[in-house]
Amino acid sequence: MKIHTILAAATAAAIATTAIAHEGATGIVLERMKAMSAMREAVKEMTPMMRGQVQYDADAVRAAAQTIESHAGQAMIELFPEDASREKSYAKDALWQDFDRFADLAMQLETQTRGLALAAANGLGGDQGGSGGMMGTSSMMGQDTSAMMGGASGDTLSAEALADMPADAVFEKVSQTCSACHTPYRTKPE
Amino acid sequence: MRVLTLVSAAAGLAALGLVAVIAWPVGSVPAPIELTGDSQRGAYLARAGGCIACHTNWDEGGPPLAGGAPLETRFGTFHPPNLTMSASAGMGNWTITQFARAVRQGVSPDGASYYPTFPYAFYANLTDQDIADLWAAFQTVPAVDTPAPDNEVPFPFDQRWGLKLWRAAFLPAPRTEPVEGKSDPWNQGRWLVEGVTHCGACHTPRNIAGARVMAQKFTGADALPGQDKSPAITPDALAENGWTRDDLAYALQSGIMPNGDTFGGGMGEVVRHGTSFLTDADRRAIATYLLDEDG
Repeated sequence: MKIHTILAAATAAAIATTAIAHEGATGIVLERMKAMSAMREAVKEMTPMMRGQVQYDADAVRAAAQTIESHAGQAMIELFPEDASREKSYAKDALWQDFDRFADLAMQLETQTRGLALAAANGLGGDQGGSGGMMGTSSMMGQDTSAMMGGASGDTLSAEALADMPADAVFEKVSQTCSACHTPYRTKPE
Repeated sequence: MRVLTLVSAAAGLAALGLVAVIAWPVGSVPAPIELTGDSQRGAYLARAGGCIACHTNWDEGGPPLAGGAPLETRFGTFHPPNLTMSASAGMGNWTITQFARAVRQGVSPDGASYYPTFPYAFYANLTDQDIADLWAAFQTVPAVDTPAPDNEVPFPFDQRWGLKLWRAAFLPAPRTEPVEGKSDPWNQGRWLVEGVTHCGACHTPRNIAGARVMAQKFTGADALPGQDKSPAITPDALAENGWTRDDLAYALQSGIMPNGDTFGGGMGEVVRHGTSFLTDADRRAIATYLLDEDG
């Protein structure tokens, strides 16, 4: 009996915590907050490995990448229907005004995380210097002024092309896509 | 009668004052720059300085430096101009001296003051070599002959002479000079943060005239373009929010915060098009200076 009471209290507390964390969001808005939280946790799990702070674990990276992939693409697009309540949401109106671009970014995230799962076994790229990975392909590294001055960035590589790259370089592309979408379409939580 | 005389005298004086302000030349003509520029270093500075981030319309897939996404402010909507070498729409007819004056002093080739949405105040201490490097880098960008739209700035802010008064009242000199007794990374961070990467443009609140309130430096702002807001980045505020030097340097590279979330708002753009292109050493220098740690 006592155990039941404790369990019930713990469950209630957990539900309450979730509700507080999401500031009373319900329905599809709560669903997408849960999806975003799952992706955030996956990024948080991979980050120390990508930074070389903890032992790299290809299986863990693959699993985390697949978690994000499962919430990206069509699954993400469907969580943002035009007619959904926008109350208690961090999404800006710009997302619906510019829906095609949002959908492109959602699909790009899916492609990139599929690529990351394939690239997980490649491990880290080692010491490639500051901006290499982010400037697109390795041939652009540090040499090509056109990339540095704003030229093509290689954001639209296929999963198969990404599969040949070091995992940390693909991971950086994934995080850039998260940020590229948060920049125009998410308001600040506080 | 007497009152009328006084009023008309005052009006006359005011008109005379206005004429004087309109005619008042701002800035100074820099000495000729005859240095050879390094376009690679210039491109690096253009990344660090936000030229590429702000003057490229990334959302619309616009060509590099051909004009940026509009900045919606409480003074009006500003369109970052085309900085390609197009003679008709960009800087194709400029001299390097005019470029130096624009960047370091915020004065256009025809002598007009730029609006402070262009953070020229932070670029004032760039050396002639920095300017020559930047100028060399801009030469490598394909020219685009489409000009950026005109700013949509309602009266009275469309009166550019008003900016001369603004400059006289509010233009702070950047504090980029090295501080003795501090480490090299700290001083390099100071050069970047206080100067070219212009963190204070968004992280320092602005007064009713749109000038930074230096007494509240880096305490965050809530009236940024597009109704964006920025957090405090004082050493205390950063430490309180759990930022370490490593975390901060990594966030400037990746956009990833310690909790696994990624930057949105203006900072997402700053990282994606700016600080992610810097060297690890420079990102660590920025973090060292902001957290006020030893090198």
